[in-house]
Amino acid sequence: MMVFRQKIGDVIRISDDIRLIIHDIQDGRIVRFGIEAPAEIPVHRLEIYELIQQENQAAVAGDAMAWLNQGGHDASR
Amino acid sequence: MQVVEKTQVTPEKDTVLAFDFPQGIAGFSGAKSFAFIYAGSGDLLCLQSIDMPEASFILTPWNESRLGATPKLSSEQQGLLQADADSEIIWFLVLNPFADKDWVTANLRAPIAICESQQTGLQCIASDTSLELRYRWMAQPKAAT
Repeated sequence: MMVFRQKIGDVIRISDDIRLIIHDIQDGRIVRFGIEAPAEIPVHRLEIYELIQQENQAAVAGDAMAWLNQGGHDASR
Repeated sequence: MQVVEKTQVTPEKDTVLAFDFPQGIAGFSGAKSFAFIYAGSGDLLCLQSIDMPEASFILTPWNESRLGATPKLSSEQQGLLQADADSEIIWFLVLNPFADKDWVTANLRAPIAICESQQTGLQCIASDTSLELRYRWMAQPKAAT
């Protein structure tokens, strides 16, 4: 992990087209920053994204087509 | 896998529709191209990744009588779907039939938006933590458990 010491207004560049800009610091402990990235790169808070990631992985834990063919279709009517 | 491009809204039995997901799906970021597989009965679809065979999701259409109005797309999300203000967006829920022995659950926090005219899709992750990840959608069918 790379750790930076930045001031308000500073910019960190990640690859050619991702930028992180330090906006301000509130109450001496909350950092507000902006992220500029191409639209096809999803940007989310870690705790939210990881929850969805885990739930998506759980949703494919079994064989979806087998479940559908074994009665899933009829149960949905 | 045979892929057939269709323009009709109503899928026919054994028809496969292909859609581009520019952001992939959370946990499967390499899966950008998906096909819909519909067996011709019930209201469940299989969303099958063409890039990653293990990414195979069961979807059901958003139900307004149970959940209220469909979510609204942000301008960024519209752009990702290449949709304009008049584009029809179809909303689906990702079902999880494997997490609970009694219930098939629906992920209300990350529904999937489909723009059929552009054949694009997007999993729209909401920041509202009150939305359930495992909403009890329907009882497990006896034959499938």
